[in-house]
Amino acid sequence: MTLLHPTFIRRQLATTRSQSLIFVLCVALSMVTLVALRGFGDSVDRALTRDARALIGADVVVQSNFAFDPAVDSAVEAIAARGAAETARTWEFYSVVRRPGEDGSLLSNLKVVDAGWPFYGTVELASGAALRAVLAPGRVIVEQALLDRLGVQVGDALRIGDATLTIADVITFEPDRPTTFFSLGPRVLVDGGDLAALNLVNPGSRVTYRWLLKAADPAAVDDLADEVRTVADRDFVRIDTFRTARTGVERFFTNFLFFLSLVGIFTLMLAGIGIQSSLTAFLRERHGTIAVAKTLGASSRFVTVNFYIVVLLLGAIGALLGILLGFVLQWTLPALLSGFLPPDIELTISTRAVVESALLGLVVVLLFTFLPLYRLEGLRPSFIFRKEEPPIVNRLPFALTLLLILGLFTGLVIWQLGDVRTALWFAGGALVLLLIAALLTEAALQLLKRWDVRWLPGRQALRGLFRPRNGTRAIVITLSTALGVLFCIFVIEQNLRASFVQSYPPDAPNVFFLDIQPDQQEAFAATLGMEADYVPAVRAALMAVNGAEPRRNPEGEDRGNGGEGGPEGGDGRRSPQYTLTYRAALAEGEMLVRGDSLFGDAETVNPVSVLQETADARGIDLGDVLSFNIQGVPLDATVTSIRKQDAGSVQPFFGFVFAPDVLTAAPQTIFTGVRVAPDEIAALQNRMVAAFPNVTVIDVTATIAQFASVVQRITQVVRFFSAFSILAGLLIVISSVYATRLARVQEAAYYKVLGATGGWVTAVFALENVLLGLLSAALALLMAQVAAWAIMTWLFELEYRFLPDASVAMIAITIAAVMLVGMVASIGILRSRPINFLRLQTENE
Amino acid sequence: MGAMVRRLEFDNLLSRHMRGRAGHALALLAIGLVLAGCGAAPTPMPTPAPTPTPAGEVLILAIGDSLTEGLGVGDEETYPAQLEAALRAAGHAVRVVNAGVSGETSSGTLQRIDWLLQQQPDVVILAIGGNDGLRGIDPALTEQNIAALVTRIQASGAVVVLPGMEMVRNLGSEFVSDFRAIYPRVAEESGALLMPFFLEGVAGDRTLNQPDFIHPTGAGYAAVVANLLPYVEQAIQQAQAR
Repeated sequence: MTLLHPTFIRRQLATTRSQSLIFVLCVALSMVTLVALRGFGDSVDRALTRDARALIGADVVVQSNFAFDPAVDSAVEAIAARGAAETARTWEFYSVVRRPGEDGSLLSNLKVVDAGWPFYGTVELASGAALRAVLAPGRVIVEQALLDRLGVQVGDALRIGDATLTIADVITFEPDRPTTFFSLGPRVLVDGGDLAALNLVNPGSRVTYRWLLKAADPAAVDDLADEVRTVADRDFVRIDTFRTARTGVERFFTNFLFFLSLVGIFTLMLAGIGIQSSLTAFLRERHGTIAVAKTLGASSRFVTVNFYIVVLLLGAIGALLGILLGFVLQWTLPALLSGFLPPDIELTISTRAVVESALLGLVVVLLFTFLPLYRLEGLRPSFIFRKEEPPIVNRLPFALTLLLILGLFTGLVIWQLGDVRTALWFAGGALVLLLIAALLTEAALQLLKRWDVRWLPGRQALRGLFRPRNGTRAIVITLSTALGVLFCIFVIEQNLRASFVQSYPPDAPNVFFLDIQPDQQEAFAATLGMEADYVPAVRAALMAVNGAEPRRNPEGEDRGNGGEGGPEGGDGRRSPQYTLTYRAALAEGEMLVRGDSLFGDAETVNPVSVLQETADARGIDLGDVLSFNIQGVPLDATVTSIRKQDAGSVQPFFGFVFAPDVLTAAPQTIFTGVRVAPDEIAALQNRMVAAFPNVTVIDVTATIAQFASVVQRITQVVRFFSAFSILAGLLIVISSVYATRLARVQEAAYYKVLGATGGWVTAVFALENVLLGLLSAALALLMAQVAAWAIMTWLFELEYRFLPDASVAMIAITIAAVMLVGMVASIGILRSRPINFLRLQTENE
Repeated sequence: MGAMVRRLEFDNLLSRHMRGRAGHALALLAIGLVLAGCGAAPTPMPTPAPTPTPAGEVLILAIGDSLTEGLGVGDEETYPAQLEAALRAAGHAVRVVNAGVSGETSSGTLQRIDWLLQQQPDVVILAIGGNDGLRGIDPALTEQNIAALVTRIQASGAVVVLPGMEMVRNLGSEFVSDFRAIYPRVAEESGALLMPFFLEGVAGDRTLNQPDFIHPTGAGYAAVVANLLPYVEQAIQQAQAR
């Protein structure tokens, strides 16, 4: 007898039913997930790289505020000479520019550029012309604000340093200068050929000198940077590549991609569980066939090999379907991601991604099919004919397979992330998750077993869970693990959304006014004409706590380093700077943690209330004496209370709140924020600035809108990938419920023989499904909440919310889904007449 | 980014929940808020209780901007701290209070001068105007403010030391010379003690400055103090003679 039996295989395939369909779908799902993830990750990475290059206008930027040493210049020139990179220099500085022969002068932000700048990104001009078609020696390009403020036009002359140059065009966009960039004056672009004529870059000038390099070989970027680095004085020369210059946005995306990868890997795992459970059920339905085949002399090997072929054929169908769907995604992803990624980024799924995904899918299929197929080996016909439970197979292969599966997924995480530690955490977490799920299931089942229900349908349903060969334990473990992951993803998605939406509720201020002087407040409020809170702000340094230096900030930010973008170096300790305020009472959303009242009794001189976080960070306690330097006036204050602020509050928070009479005379500014309809902002802004020219207006409407749209996109992407997991979870539910079908047929027959109506049997089955769903969902929710809390807290560093409504909804939906699937699976059973089943049973025995 | 956001407690004005890496856009704005948040106005109000100066000690108030506050160096390396040490080493019973505010222009100092003078200093070192120049403010306005400051301080009974400032040359020769002329003129008109250039021998020297080109290192401030010392000693003498 040959080992391969095409007819046998064909018959198995032809008679496959729901379980094999589920199997195929699970395989397809694992493929699509992988392909989609790779495509998305690649696209985001490309977009970020391109943006990062445009942001610095080059591959490598060498920058200093002092003229470069000859060694740096010659190193760069040597690179250019051997053709390893194109180079360009820029000089950026402020200067006072004038209208020739007239009074007007204006501080401007000059940038003198060599041809070549910028190597990446495009400078946009009002005329629509290309930068180099306009910029030439003798000509400058300026920002519109310069024309407005000096009262000049394109074509007029401009006196800059010792040169008189002609304004040739207006710049509207500069890729390496973000629109949020803080500048003291409008931009003026000058051609490198005019540098000497300006006579402004000399010893004693403050200029930012830059060399820009565009690498001939993109892979050599880091080497080029290192080559310059070896000759540069590290303290004074900063060397960035487009990679090191990537921003906080990039870090966010890295975390986001990591999260998506986890979702993808979990989906893969769910799909694997689906493959395993559907295959087990599929083979169980074929136990009769196998027993007959074995009785007729088929070897175990014959059975295993032929079923392996069946599985591989099904797997191949699934894989093909998956890859096909993967290609469909090529058209879906751009629509999904439009506005999220820059519009002109091409979204393609590379063949490599597809091949890699297919190979990986194959490994998943093989691993998850091994156990069910291995069990066939030990299957003896006698056990099947006697309807006995097959003996438990050797535990070693089981454990080995589990380890292999775990190893595979750990490997996957390493591959996606290149981070071994996280991968090990992941593997450990998955193992612990399974273990916890198993333990919880066991405990819950034990409890249920002891539950004495009087009501007959209820009792029968409960007993049904412990029906022999029902596999309740395995189903609950599988379901609760799968649902746990699903819930977790959902809870995180909801949390991300809530975090972003709630940190900016619709009624929060969108226009802020800063630097209002105390004597302007009354007039300001009258001109503003709407309700607003006016908050005084006093800058001060905390010099000492009880005479000793305050506890250092754990991040070491008190060292000489003054502030943002500021100088590095300086090893001495720096007193931390704070913005103080004063008011008579607790603000909305604040509560006292320690101390009887905000400012103690009237005896206390200079009472101050400290925010709990600040107190913890600086080691401050009730009754401590704090020494401040309030802009040149030393002041000792006594801590009379410690406050905390409600996490949901959008109120500004202050580390130190003083009693009013202590700080009323201190140098201070006042700020306020109001909510204004977007179309009224411009008018309000003009009105306020005209009346109070010293007041700074910050309109965050555009930022909020932009932010909200990004958040919406993020949510969409997460939802898109979660959909795969949800699908996998649903397939598992279907597969699990179908697996118990056989046992139910039997039970339904007995109930009916004993006089039960169809309705009564339906009620028992429905109740049983409810119990199954409830048990799995409750366990899943418990695990999901813990995991989601950990991910929100540690990965995203955001606040975690429990989301009670969503939790109840998830449990309800799970129960409904399990019941629905269970009922659909049982319809046939309920309709069939008991006599058919009993006759079959008798014939069998 | 996260680190920067955490440093500034003010950021929560805009985003309470975004201390994490996601709060990028709003955090940028928050920083803008902090940068903009200085300046002041005097209001005749109930006086607080500042820490008193022991009797017999000469109180020197070092008023100025980041060069006085000591941006980028430790507390002990700032020029007022080094000056106090140098004066004490020379046998003077003095206390030097750092009244520097980074980013402040002469207009800002004018707003808070009454707050400062309530301490009744014996000597005031007024090192201000650098930010006016760097922002391209009309030197005539800067001169007017500095002259008003000197008058107010002298009216309080303190002796004024006025270190001169110079501007970076990239601003243009005309502006640079206009700016430089402010200090000798104010000193001459008011009788304040003029130190010709605050950063004499320090400005532009890479060994004495931080990488931002503008702010001296601790060693740079030591050189500043060495230059400044004789003028301050002279001022102490004048103050004690009164």
